[in-house]
This record gives sequence, C-alpha cells and structure tokens, in this order.
Amino acid sequence: MQVTLSKRINELLVLAVLERGPAHGYQIALSVEERTGGAFSFQHGTLYPILHRLEIGGHVRGTWGGEGRRRKTYELTDAGRAELAEGAAQLERQFRVLLELFGGTHAA
Amino acid sequence: MRPEHPLEDVERNLAVPPRRRLDLLEEVDADAEALQAELERRGYGPAQARRAALRRVVPGTETLAQLEAQHAPPLGRWARSAGWIDRVERFGIVAATGLAGAVAFVTMVGSGPLGSAAVLAWPQVIVVALLAANWTRAAKRLWIDGDLRPELRRRLWERQIGLIVLAVALGALGAAREGYGAFEALAAEDFAPPAMWDAVRRIVSFAALGFGAAIFGLFGWLAITPRLIDDETMEHRISAFFAARLTPTPSRRR
Repeated sequence: MQVTLSKRINELLVLAVLERGPAHGYQIALSVEERTGGAFSFQHGTLYPILHRLEIGGHVRGTWGGEGRRRKTYELTDAGRAELAEGAAQLERQFRVLLELFGGTHAA
Repeated sequence: MRPEHPLEDVERNLAVPPRRRLDLLEEVDADAEALQAELERRGYGPAQARRAALRRVVPGTETLAQLEAQHAPPLGRWARSAGWIDRVERFGIVAATGLAGAVAFVTMVGSGPLGSAAVLAWPQVIVVALLAANWTRAAKRLWIDGDLRPELRRRLWERQIGLIVLAVALGALGAAREGYGAFEALAAEDFAPPAMWDAVRRIVSFAALGFGAAIFGLFGWLAITPRLIDDETMEHRISAFFAARLTPTPSRRR
C-alpha cells in the first residue's frame, strides 16, 4: 500500500511539473525538488521508470530532438491532464481521511 | 587501460533489447550533462556537480529491475505478468524433448529400433533435440528476456553450426552404411526385391533425417537473423556512443 501510494504521488508530481510545459528529465527532477522544498527528490535514476510508465500509459509524450546529440523531451497529453486532475482529487480525499484519523489538531 | 564511463555499468547490467538500452543511455547521459551544467550555474564546483548529477540520474539496481520489467519484449512482459517467466525454460525443454520424441518415432519407423543402424540413428535424434534446445535458448533470450549479448550469441551460433554439420554427417554416414550393406547383400546375390526396397527406404530415411535436421537448424536461425542484425547495429551504436563520450574534446567537460 505504502509503495503504491508513493508511486502514485511520484507520478502525480511528474504530471504536475509537466502541466507547466514540456521538459527534459533532469528539469523535471529539479523542478520536483524545488517545488516540494526538497521533500521529494529523485535519486539513482528513479525518475526514468516513472516517466516511461507514464509514457507507456499515454499520459505523457516523449519526443527525441536535439542537433547532433539526441535529447528526450516530455510533454503532458490530454489523458495525462485528466489523470492529474483525478489523481490529485483522489489523493486529497485519502489524505483528508488520514489526517482526520491521526487527530483533528494535525488536520487544522 | 581506458577510463570507464559511468553508464557502462548500466549498459552491462540492463537486460533489455539493445535499441531500448541505447535510448536509455542517450537519455540519461544527456540529462546528466545538462544537470551538471545547471548545478555548476548554481555554484557547484565541476567535480561536485558531476557527482551530484550522476547520483540523481544514473539508475541503481532497483531502478534497473523496474526498467527491465517495463522494457522487456511483449512476450516477456506477458510471461512475467502471467507468472510464466520461470516456466519458459521448462517449456522449451519439454518442446525440445517432444520434437526429439517425434524424430525418434520417425527413426524407429524408418530404420527399426533394434537394428544395427540404431547406432547412427539415435545420435541423430539427440542432435535434433540439441538443435531445438539451442534455438529455444536463443529465442528465449531474444523474445522473452530481450537481451542476447554478443558473446552468448556467438557461442550459440557456433554450436548451431556444429550441430548442423553433425546432423548432415550422421545422415550421410547412416545412408552410406545402409547403402554399403545393401550393396554387399546384392553382391552376395542374397537380395530379394522387397529387401531392396526396405534398404532404399532406410537409406532415404537416414539422409532425410540428416538433411531435415540441417534445414531445421539453418532456417530456425534464419528466422531470428533479422532481429540479430538489428541488435548488432544497435550494439555498434552503443560502442560508438561510449567511444565518443570517452574521447576528450575541447568543448566537452570530463
């Protein structure tokens, strides 16, 4: 359950970064780290299985570009946008339940 | 001894088709270099930036396992998801044994199980089984695991060729032996027409089994050749990729 939830959060973080516009893998990693104040970071290439899973699922589109040297850029698809909205709402519900369970003072 | 690129270890350990491997290497390397440049802009020293960039983007053992599961060939992914991955080799052995059994049946019908010709007929059956097993191993590596490295590929090919030659030799030897026996009987004038046809049948059966095994071995390998050529092209590109990365140029930071 813990693994599934963290996997889901990571996917949504990537989708949220890509909502701002296309980006290379390293830009996504840096952006996630910066936007979460370092609470989430991708080490040891853990970003790539997430990106590739999202690409296989049609939530992001990867395109190769660059002159001489190939670089891969990712962008959000419509399916990814819908997935982000749905996933964020689902996470919000789950966390609200958890916070209520842990005590009202934390939720406030 | 040349220095090793940080991604060479990934290349060695990532068991996915070479095309996917090259894509990942290029993606990670481009990200590592861009991330290093970005970190240097933010005040990191070159060596510190390089280390930090590599720590972030170079896949670790767990990541490699996830990438392998994602980029395995469709048949391999299906086998993994269906829990068949451990049974594939056993299935291959059963298939090879089944084929050898079928050939054994044909051999028994052709030359008789207890005749002196069995000395050559049964090795033929074993050669067919070995050919099937060798091909199954190569096919499993290509379409289930997705990764057949050059050294193993060369070994399997050499074995295949050796078995094909052995199959032809055994077929020719068996046919010659049967022919010589028939010729001796003919010379001794102890040869009725039905016995002659029986001898012809055994000669043809030996030759056909040898020839059939050779054709099976050759065409089986031909069937996987397009994929092998593609893999080899990609492996050359991977070698070129590392050679280019390890050649110092004024514009490239090491």
